[in-house]
Amino acid sequence: MALVNPDFAAELKAYGVDTPLECFNCGTCAAICPLLFEHFPRKMIRYVQVGAKEKILQQAEDLWRCLHCGLCTQTCPRQANPGELILGLRRYVVAQARRA
Amino acid sequence: MFNPQDIIDLLAANVRQTRNPFGVPASKFNTWWKDAGGFTRRPGDALLFTGLMYQAIPYIEATTRYLERLEGSSWAGYLRYSRFLPASLRGRGLAALTPAAGKKKFNGILHTICRLLKKSGAGFFYHPEMDFYSGILLYDLGDQDGFIKHAQFVAKTLKLHGVSKIITVDPHTTYALKELYPKYTGAIFEVQPYFSQLQFQAPAAGNGKPPVVLHDPCLYGRYLQLSEGPRRVLKNLNLEYVDVRNCGEFTSCCGGPAESVSPALNREILARRAGELKAAAAPVVTFCPICLANLLKAGLPVEDLASLVGRHMA
Repeated sequence: MALVNPDFAAELKAYGVDTPLECFNCGTCAAICPLLFEHFPRKMIRYVQVGAKEKILQQAEDLWRCLHCGLCTQTCPRQANPGELILGLRRYVVAQARRA
Repeated sequence: MFNPQDIIDLLAANVRQTRNPFGVPASKFNTWWKDAGGFTRRPGDALLFTGLMYQAIPYIEATTRYLERLEGSSWAGYLRYSRFLPASLRGRGLAALTPAAGKKKFNGILHTICRLLKKSGAGFFYHPEMDFYSGILLYDLGDQDGFIKHAQFVAKTLKLHGVSKIITVDPHTTYALKELYPKYTGAIFEVQPYFSQLQFQAPAAGNGKPPVVLHDPCLYGRYLQLSEGPRRVLKNLNLEYVDVRNCGEFTSCCGGPAESVSPALNREILARRAGELKAAAAPVVTFCPICLANLLKAGLPVEDLASLVGRHMA
């Protein structure tokens, strides 16, 4: 079971994440991502959309698998900027860890 | 995979203490200019800003060899304690592990870039005290505060020295100075990659050799859309090249960015890109020190754009 926080997407604006709600989960990003890894980054975007903050923190290490190559952002049909979203989530996780 | 937080803390501590991610003092780290002849600054000249990236490659190679042995072992967790050592000690250890031949080789690429810029009549100068690591790895790993503090220091120092025009030599530094510094520090510089400054007076005859295949770095290909620059240089010199399917805006990553947190993941991505390039059955040319070192690791015949052009213009 995961708790959801509808304000999570807004909370991430401070970390440069301002387009997650543009995503309609088509999966183009996961298909083009060179990691070929468990629906990455689509799954993370979905977590942000529904506010599953705990899920993101549990799987935080996966965020650092991202190569920041930009292919997902280049091909996203909704300009949801998945690459920048992953980078923003890294900033969020680092900030949380430093605060703890 | 290492705990990313351990890697970030270690790199951030090094950048804070020595202004580079390896903890090696600048006097040991940035030495290429000593053999590059003198530089005179004239009004309007651009600063050649290496961002210490080519100089970093031998140190990255040494670090990765060490991390590859550690990854997945029971010792991996101890990495987190290394940040408690003084940076000078970490840096001295790493400097001792880094072979001199590697330093000479990558410094040589900077000498060649310098020679090509001079030959092209580009107005530029160099001063080691104005040349810094850009902080890009901290940004990429998500240490926003660490990146901003370092970038503010670099931008302020450059502004104090009256620098407004910059010539860069690698895509990571180019991206940092062109896109990130204005956004995060407010400092705006006129930034040009070195290959955009290469203007040779007359097109030379080709080198009579088979074509090379180009590997575009992600930052030049997608983020900065500068892939045409190196192609223009090669066309002007009648040096033949071919492209693989995944090139320019749709280039494939070499895996370099994964090196600091997972050498195993780096190898996996690298093997895929190496396969794409091998299919062209031609020597590879790239224009990024990280890609260059990575593709060399895959055993491909690869060289830097500057080396190819420099040999042709010798």
